[in-house]
Order: sequence, then C-alpha cells, then structure tokens
Amino acid sequence: MDFNEFKKCVINAAQSLGLKEYELYYSASESTDIGTFKHEINEFSSAEDGGVCFRCIVGGKMGYASTEELSAAEAESIVKRAAENAKALENDDTQFLVEGGQEYRKAEDKGYPLPDTPELIATALKGDKALYDADPLVIDGSQCGTGVSSFKVAIANSKGLDLSYESSTAYFMAAAVVSDGKEMSDEFKVVHGPFDKLDIDGAVKEAVEKAKAMLDYDSAPTGNYPVVFSPEAMTSMLGVFSGIFNSENAQKGLSRLLGREGEKIAADFVSIIDDPFYPENGINLSFDDEGSPTCTKAVVENGVLKTLLYNLKTANKAGVKTTGNASKAGYSASVGIRPFTFYIAPGNISEEELLKKAENGVYITSLGGLHAGANSVSGDFSLQSSGFMIENGVKTKAVKSFTVSGNFYELLKNISALSDTVKLPRPYGKTAFGSPSVLVEGLSVAGK
Amino acid sequence: MITREVCERVLRKAISTGADYAEIFAEHSVNHSINMIADKVDNISDSVIAGAGIRVFKGLRSVAASTTDTSEAGLLRCAEKAADALGQGSAEISINLTERLFGDIHPIKTVPSSVPVAEKIRILKDGYFAAREYSPEIKQVSGTLLDIDHNILIANSEGLYAEDRQIRTRISVNAVAEKNGESQTGFYGPGRRMGMEMFEHEVDAKAVGVRAAQQAITMAGAGYCPAGVMPVAIGNGFGGVIFHEACGHSLEASSVAYGLSQFCGKLGTQIANPKVTAIDDGTIPNAWGSINIDDEGTPAQRKVLIEKGILKTYMVDKFNGRRMGLPSTGSARRQSYSYVTTSRMTNTFIAEGEDSNDDIIASMEYGLFAKEMGGGSVNPATGEFNFAVNEGYMVRNGKICEPVRGASLVGKGSDVIMNIDMVGKNLDLGTGMCGASSGSIPTTVGQPLIRVSKITVGGR
Repeated sequence: MDFNEFKKCVINAAQSLGLKEYELYYSASESTDIGTFKHEINEFSSAEDGGVCFRCIVGGKMGYASTEELSAAEAESIVKRAAENAKALENDDTQFLVEGGQEYRKAEDKGYPLPDTPELIATALKGDKALYDADPLVIDGSQCGTGVSSFKVAIANSKGLDLSYESSTAYFMAAAVVSDGKEMSDEFKVVHGPFDKLDIDGAVKEAVEKAKAMLDYDSAPTGNYPVVFSPEAMTSMLGVFSGIFNSENAQKGLSRLLGREGEKIAADFVSIIDDPFYPENGINLSFDDEGSPTCTKAVVENGVLKTLLYNLKTANKAGVKTTGNASKAGYSASVGIRPFTFYIAPGNISEEELLKKAENGVYITSLGGLHAGANSVSGDFSLQSSGFMIENGVKTKAVKSFTVSGNFYELLKNISALSDTVKLPRPYGKTAFGSPSVLVEGLSVAGK
Repeated sequence: MITREVCERVLRKAISTGADYAEIFAEHSVNHSINMIADKVDNISDSVIAGAGIRVFKGLRSVAASTTDTSEAGLLRCAEKAADALGQGSAEISINLTERLFGDIHPIKTVPSSVPVAEKIRILKDGYFAAREYSPEIKQVSGTLLDIDHNILIANSEGLYAEDRQIRTRISVNAVAEKNGESQTGFYGPGRRMGMEMFEHEVDAKAVGVRAAQQAITMAGAGYCPAGVMPVAIGNGFGGVIFHEACGHSLEASSVAYGLSQFCGKLGTQIANPKVTAIDDGTIPNAWGSINIDDEGTPAQRKVLIEKGILKTYMVDKFNGRRMGLPSTGSARRQSYSYVTTSRMTNTFIAEGEDSNDDIIASMEYGLFAKEMGGGSVNPATGEFNFAVNEGYMVRNGKICEPVRGASLVGKGSDVIMNIDMVGKNLDLGTGMCGASSGSIPTTVGQPLIRVSKITVGGR
C-alpha cells in the first residue's frame, strides 16, 4: 500500500490503542548510479528504499518503532511496538511534539529535472574519455561514475502538523589512477548539482592533477609546524568535531562546551555559522526533523560561543528555545541534533597570502581515518594526512603518509589566519560543512 | 519469504533481455537495540528492514535494482527495470529452481526476540553499571545491547533457491573518564553470531563494562604519545584490525579485479614476512563475522590468504570473479537488499606464530605497545592506511612503561606486512563493523601479539 493509505491505518491503530500524542515520519529515496571501467559501462544500479517511523508519548516517555513494510499488519504492529518500547524507557526528559500551524520561511525549491538512463550513460562515457585523454599517465582502473537521486520526507502528527519535502540532485565522479611506471597514485573528485550544469571536465582535470601531484612524494619531517588546512581538509575535521556544539552531547558530558555560552573559545576573528538556507547547498530546509522552523545563526561569533545547537528536548532542559536543529540519522533513528550547512566564516586574505604568512610548514589537502583518529569527546586527533610542504611562503614538494596531531579545542584558539573563500566540498545533503583555508600555529607532525 | 514459483517468474523477467545470470536477494530483518546513557534507558530502536535486490549480469556488465515492494508485481517491476537497463536481447537460458538446504553450523539457543525487553535491560545494566561504578573518575557511560535477526533468501538462474537466518547479538560500553579537566574514552564491544546465550558462557556483561572503564581511566592519566618511526608491538584480538586494513581490503576482488590493489598479480609470490600466515574463515561456529552462505548463496569457506608470507588466494565474489577468471570464494556480502554485493571479509586473522609474548616485548629497546586498537581505514590501491591506538604504552629497554594517548599508526600495507617480524601465540578474535561500497557488515579481526619492526607513529 502507499504511504497515505498506511498513514490512515496507523492513525486508526493509534486511536484504538487510546494514544493521544503520536507522530509518523516517512522518508523514501530513489537513486540511479552508473559506473565505467575500461571505456565501458560496467555497473548500473537503481535503488529504492525508505520506510516509516512511528513514535508516541506514553506515560511521558517517547517510544519508537519503524518498518519498511507498508502493510496493514505492520501499521498495527509498529503502533503496538512503539507503545511497548515507551514503557521500558527510564529517562525523565520532557518529550514534545510540534504544534501544527507554525510559520515557516519558504525554502527555495531546488528540485532539478532528472535525466533518463541514456543521458546518464552518455555522460559517464564522455567523462571516461576525458579522463583517459587528460594525461598519458592515466591508467586502467580509472573510473567515472554518475547518477541521480531524489528523496522525500513527510512528517505528520496528532497535533495537526503535516509537512513534506522533496529534493533531487545529480552527481559526477572522476576517479583517476595514474602511474609513472614505479609509483601509483589515485585521487577522485565529485561534483554535485543540476545534471546539465555538472562540470565534468573540471572534475576530471582536478582528479588527474591531484593524483599526478602525489606521484613523486616524500614524507613530512617530524616536528612542530604552522599547518595550513585546505577547505577540504578543514571541513573533514569540522565534520567530526561539530558534535561538540551539539547540546545533547554537552548535556550528557560528551562535550566541554556545556554552559559556556558567552565565553571565548576560539581566536578573535573566528566565526562559525549554521545556515539551513545556504545558497550553494542543494538542499535548503525550512523545517527540521521534528517539524520546528529552522533558522540561520552564528554558533561562534568573533571567537565567542553564542549558542549550542538544540532540539525541543534539549532546549527545554537548558531553558532556551530550540534552534531548529532536530535531526534523524535515517527514518528509523531517534531524534538527535545535527547542523545544516555549518561553516567557518571567511577571513580577508587570499590563499597565497595565507601561505606566505605560514612561511615554513605543511599544507594539508586531505585527512584520512577520521572515524578512528579523531576523538570527539576529548577533542584529540591524530590523523593520516597528505599535502605539500610550504617553504618560504610557497607550496613545494608533495608529502604523504604522515600524521598531524593536536586537540580541536586548542586548534580553535590557535587559528592565526583564514583565507577569503569558503568552499563546500560536498555541497549536497541535509548536513554539509564548509570552510576557507585555515592557518593553525604549532601542530605536531609525525613523518620521517 | 518469496515462493519458488514467484522467484522463477521474476528471474525469467530479469533475463528476458539476454542476461547470462540473474539473481534475487530478498531480506526480512528485525533489528532491535537498547541504549543507556546518564544511568537511564534512553532509547529503544526497533525496526523491520524488508525488500529485495535483483542483479543481472551479461559478460562483464552488471545491473542491480532494488525495491521495498516484495509483492510479485513489485518484484516483476524491479526485474523489468534491471532487464531494460541491460539493453536489447532475448532470453537464452531457462530457469528451474531447486530448493537447497545448506544447514546451519551456528546453533542459536535463545532467539533474542523471544526474550522480554526487561531481561535484555537487566543484562545491559550489568555492563553499564560495572563501568559507571568502577571509579568516581568515570563521569559518563553509554551502553548498547543490540540484536539482529537477518533472514535472507537467494534465488538465481543457476537454479539455486536457498534461505539463511543470521542472528547476532552484541553489547558495547563506552566510558568517559575525567582527570584534571580532561576527558578520555574507553570502549569495549564484543559480539557473536549467537542469541542471548552469549551472556551465559561467552561474554560477561560486567567484564565488558569494567574493561571500558579501565581503558578510559588509564588513558585519562596518560601523556601524549611521542611522534616518530619506531618498533610497535600490537596486542592480540582487535589488534588484528591492522591486517584487515593494511592487507585484507587489498585482497578483495572488488579492488584486485580493477587493478586497484597493491597485491595485483602477486598470487604465489612472497608479499609478507615468512612469519605471517593469514586466514579468512567464514565457518567458525558462532563467530561474529561467520555465515552459512554468502549473499550470493555460495557456502562460506576457510581460506588461507597468506601462508608463510606467500599469497595463496584473493577473496572473490561471482561478478568480480568473472573479470579475474576465478570462482567465488564465498566472499560476497552486502549490508542489505539496497546495497550492491561485492567481495568482503568474514573472520580474518593472523595465525599463531612461535614467538613468546615476553620475548616480543623484551626485544624492543624503545617503541610502542599498542594494547588496544581503534578503527582504521585504507586506500586499497596504494595500501596507505591509518589506525588509531585506543590504549598504548611506551616500551623502554624491553619493559612496558607509562600509558600514552593520542597515538595513531600510518604506513603502507605492503611494507607493514613485510615488517611483521615476530608473531606470538595468544590468538584472539575481536568484533568489528566494516564499511565499504556494499555497506556496513559484521566482520571479525584477530591475531596474537605481533611486532612490527618499524612504523610511523603519529603523536606529539
């Protein structure tokens, strides 16, 4: 059965159980992806998935259950299971559902027309040809991929809330493998956006250039240096450590920022913004995953912590208003907290001037192993890195297989310059991270 | 889940445009997890995953389509989509399915769904409060009890119709210790391909909590690890993640078939130190990463990947095997019906060697003892890897000294497996989740205590 029919069954089941406060959350996505290998399309996949999550307040507790099977029997089952699960919970947080009829800022509709399969195939093959033609060092194993995806979300609850949202995007990915006969190096570049505006040649060129630059490399010498993080590297770092601004983590003792609003936590000129309407992000959202209106806010302004990110439950606990950052990591997840487009605001010098300012140090273009080498509770990180040496203010030799180590809380204070251009390396998703190039004084590098 | 007759009709539709192979993977899974934090049961997640994935091959081309609609009409639509994407042609093979029973070498005594939630909560609380009450320095604990009942059905144009039921249970505890205003974490999370009987004889919930708390406290008191190149001894059990990342991923057909592995074309040659024998074994009864059949319906195997340093076999699935001219090794795995199957690991470990643990530590004048490893990642093409050390100690003059925090190990897989120059005798397995293109799947890593003669240690 379709979602609307299923919704009716759920409402009936909830009413017959005598439930007063409940919500049904639905999300579904469809995607088509194709990949090339040795000038041919070798993989094609088309996936549909999605499901529903029912939650209800029973005895002051919020119980959850979810399913991908939209049938009358499952409608009844998730209602019963959620009510049962609520009874086993012990946390004494006050639970909320959002009232219907609130004002929402209108998000720009960025739904793109989607290409059909022959267009996708032509694009992948065109990219593949461009990739092999880009440089004689490009070898077999280089691959291109392209695809489209669309998703929809709907939230309806017993308080009259009834919201929905749909979005779609396309991507192109070039993965270049180059070899000079001795060493092999691979790098990739993904571009997102409307299908007809994807910069295929640009992505191919960037992947090939990046891979070639890493063919002749060294390890960085062990020591303490000024380190410049590229926007790509800093956004990976920000992605891992954005959790320190999550009020739920703070309230549970998993962030050091609880109750520190108004305190200086970063260098004077550092501001960090969370913007649900950031123009370059393919998804703009006017409501969060509880259905609260979203808003743009400075989380850090001129080095001072202004606010953490809240949902209804944590805002109530802190005695503040929600910032509209409720988020579910998938339809079946419980409501947590995530930023939207979360970025470090730009400074006012060019990247060249930033490197000049660093004088002698390391320029890190990519960080690896973030899920393991960065501890979001302590702030400690020790991460596999690659990039370039900076000598006398300019980029020189490629370096990789070294680590950069430090602590994110200290890093925020030790930022000494920001470049003037913010980049969003992955500009599509409910959550995206952005940053200019960032110069940090005195980080520990371990290499040769 | 889906009858043999329906599968036959759907497969006929899937091959109707000339595919030489078609497959249905259907799934019905129930995932249940209970989370505790701040001393309270905070969340219970309870979800049903249901759908089907259809794949068709023609030569070296693969098409995959998935759907949540497992009615006959829904499956036929999905099959048609796959057939259309393959192009023009007509069916050249016939479909006749025979049901096959592979048996189950992983007996389950207590199916988790038949245990009341209250009983599961009691077990989780044993683990949780063992950590919470271990010391006043433990400031926060979170704990999860997870059980998964994963039912799969595979039918293919070779005539196979088989089902498997995979039940797994895992408890994990994360402890945060605070000393002098700084926080450090400790983690332990054992799991088995078992039901709730896991807590009767295999895993003591309280010991899980204690181990997480001890690690957090040790690390909270520790100074930073010094940086540099040094010998490193890596502890048994989860320490085996080093082989999994530095070498295992590069032996998967998903890398090798495309020339994207540091070990392409190296079968029969020496790629590792002669001290190293490494095995991928999906048949260990009740081990976390074990399977009866893989996600293409091939029975699980025990494979010696590397014998005394010589590369013996890759891990191969049906599709990538075509490109390599090799049969499947029972290595096809996917997180769920909506992911596209590829070759993955099961239970992968370095076999026991002949060095004594004491000798390994005593051999190190100055180095690091990485007692507990965290996760890591690798680029299979170049073999460049990184790992976090969750619990490390300096070694000086052959003696284990003070704990150090914030260490990571980086290097190149082909170098590091040559540099494993001592292998101990205390083989143990550790529980992990491995993420790759076909999703997040349960895998086991393992090894005895080993020594790597030199590796770059990140610290400060």
